[in-house]
Amino acid sequence: MADQATDAEAPFGPAGLFGPADLERRLRSGGVGPEDRAGIGEIKDEVLKHLDEHVAAFFEHLASFPEAQALLRRPDLMEEARRLERDHLVAMASGTYDRDYVEQRFRLGRLYNRAQLDVALFMGAFHAQMSSIGRRIMQRYAKDAVGGFARFSAFKKIAFVDLGIVVDAMMTEREGTIRRQQQAILELSTPALQVRERLLILPIIGLLDTFRAKQLTDGLLKAIRAHRAKVVVMDLTGVSTVDSKVANHLIQTVAAARLMGATVIVTGLSSDVAQSLVTLGVDLSRLNTIGDLQGGIEEAERILGPASPRIERRPAVG
Amino acid sequence: MSVPILKQGDVLIASIQSALTDRDLLQLKDELAEKVGRLRSRGVVIDVTALDVMDSFATRTIRSIAAATRLRGAETVVVGIQPEVAIALVELGLTLDGIATALDLEEGLDVLVEVMEARRRDR
Amino acid sequence: MIDERRVPIDRDVDIVTARQLGRELAAEAGFTGSDLTLIATAISEVARNIVVYAERGEIRLGRTDRNGREGIEVVAADEGPGIPDIQQAMQDGFSTGRSLGLGLPGARRLMDEFEIVSEVGKGTVVTMRKWRP
Ligand SMILES: Nc1ncnc2c1ncn2[C@@H]1O[C@H](COP(=O)(O)OP(=O)(O)OP(=O)(O)O)[C@@H](O)[C@H]1O
Ligand SMILES: [Mg+2]
Repeated sequence: MADQATDAEAPFGPAGLFGPADLERRLRSGGVGPEDRAGIGEIKDEVLKHLDEHVAAFFEHLASFPEAQALLRRPDLMEEARRLERDHLVAMASGTYDRDYVEQRFRLGRLYNRAQLDVALFMGAFHAQMSSIGRRIMQRYAKDAVGGFARFSAFKKIAFVDLGIVVDAMMTEREGTIRRQQQAILELSTPALQVRERLLILPIIGLLDTFRAKQLTDGLLKAIRAHRAKVVVMDLTGVSTVDSKVANHLIQTVAAARLMGATVIVTGLSSDVAQSLVTLGVDLSRLNTIGDLQGGIEEAERILGPASPRIERRPAVG
Repeated sequence: MSVPILKQGDVLIASIQSALTDRDLLQLKDELAEKVGRLRSRGVVIDVTALDVMDSFATRTIRSIAAATRLRGAETVVVGIQPEVAIALVELGLTLDGIATALDLEEGLDVLVEVMEARRRDR
Repeated sequence: MIDERRVPIDRDVDIVTARQLGRELAAEAGFTGSDLTLIATAISEVARNIVVYAERGEIRLGRTDRNGREGIEVVAADEGPGIPDIQQAMQDGFSTGRSLGLGLPGARRLMDEFEIVSEVGKGTVVTMRKWRP
């Protein structure tokens, strides 16, 4: 990379879509801070240790879709895709996000375009891969759920910046259905995590708008059903402002979860957000609020009672 | 379409099988009130998993079932409200305040035990 | 309205028929997930008002579009007693039927557009629309 210095300000990617400032902006708007880079550094080895498993999760997800066969049946494309997916994860875990990194993403996007892989399918597979990574990290941090969770959150932030780049690469060469794809990104950006049996954590990262709030409600209620959750800790640490519509939505989500039989504990409510909720007429006493995530998880454990025997036995064995 | 009501120990389980008309709902209410009295049941579980719509009438009827059975000494738990139905109920402005809810029948029976315990302590 | 379907309403079973048909048409029109339930629930509310307050009437259902957006339209029409004070009837909790008074205001929240025209002695027409996301 001899010309890197002279070239540092030049745009890159197809049609000059990307400049260094753009990458910076994306990282910033994805909320990726120094502590996240540090967090990723700490789980790097854990991610690399199960690299093959995570790559496999991506393609296993695709295998069940007939639309993905155009890719899966082409050995040449598959070989390249496997290699790029591997590089992808290695680069993501390495913590250096530069021009090479973006170029690599574009190659991946173009490859999937050639294989006519639908953006929504790609994102589903990406999500499966993230879940695979999340599972391993939560396992590794079984005794420190909050710590594991913080590190996985950091990793996820990068993952979403990354996802945005790959999707853009696929989109710049393709028209149509933008809305559906944006929707899928939004859905993916608010996944609920299972910490132990019957307990979900729903981290809310970044700005909430009405559209995303609606996705969040739908996603959470489905997750409650899928995981048979009894308690949900909704962590608002990442939320700095809410408007009346979003506030209303949060309250409705809590009410809907309760109708399904789950208890919602709200944590990480900043005093600004709490104040604006009150101003908007929200009765905070109707919400089960607890200071921080750690406290919320402890309260959840209290509600759930001692872990079921199956779970309890695990540490004894290990 | 009437709703089968099963007796399991001192609990009655009403499991709704399909969409119900207003009349079916009122009939369910009468039958439950009658059975709770006659069988001296201590708890009622209403399984609404099969309901794809719960409108204001259905909700009002379920609330009045809970009130009527409580008068006869039994607690009610509603189980199986679907995610979409929960969203619609909340948008409508309907709540089931004071009525316990649970994810499914199994969970509902557990919750019922807790609620009956709490009630006993209150007395 | 495109492909309009009519459901006569004069007994409680008709409420179920109307909302089930509404769900089917909404699915055909491309709605998914909780939107289907929201639409069916709104239909249930206006259909029940017909049975309870006007005894009979009809529900008309069909697809609709405007400025390139597609959606579903629901019309609930009756020739019943009409509503003397619509503003009051649209308030949460107002009911002359000793009910919860949530049907009309709730249906308005469930759908994207809601219009109600009523004349005492002549009848009531509620028109609701929901647009596909
Ligand atoms: N089609 C109609 N014809 C005449 N009056 C109506 C009609 N629909 C509604 N109303 C009047 O408007 C009032 C409010 O209706 P709304 O559906 O909001 O509440 P409700 O039917 O009383 O209670 P709920 O729907 O919550 O069971 C009714 O009580 C009734 O007086
Ligand atoms: Mg009504």
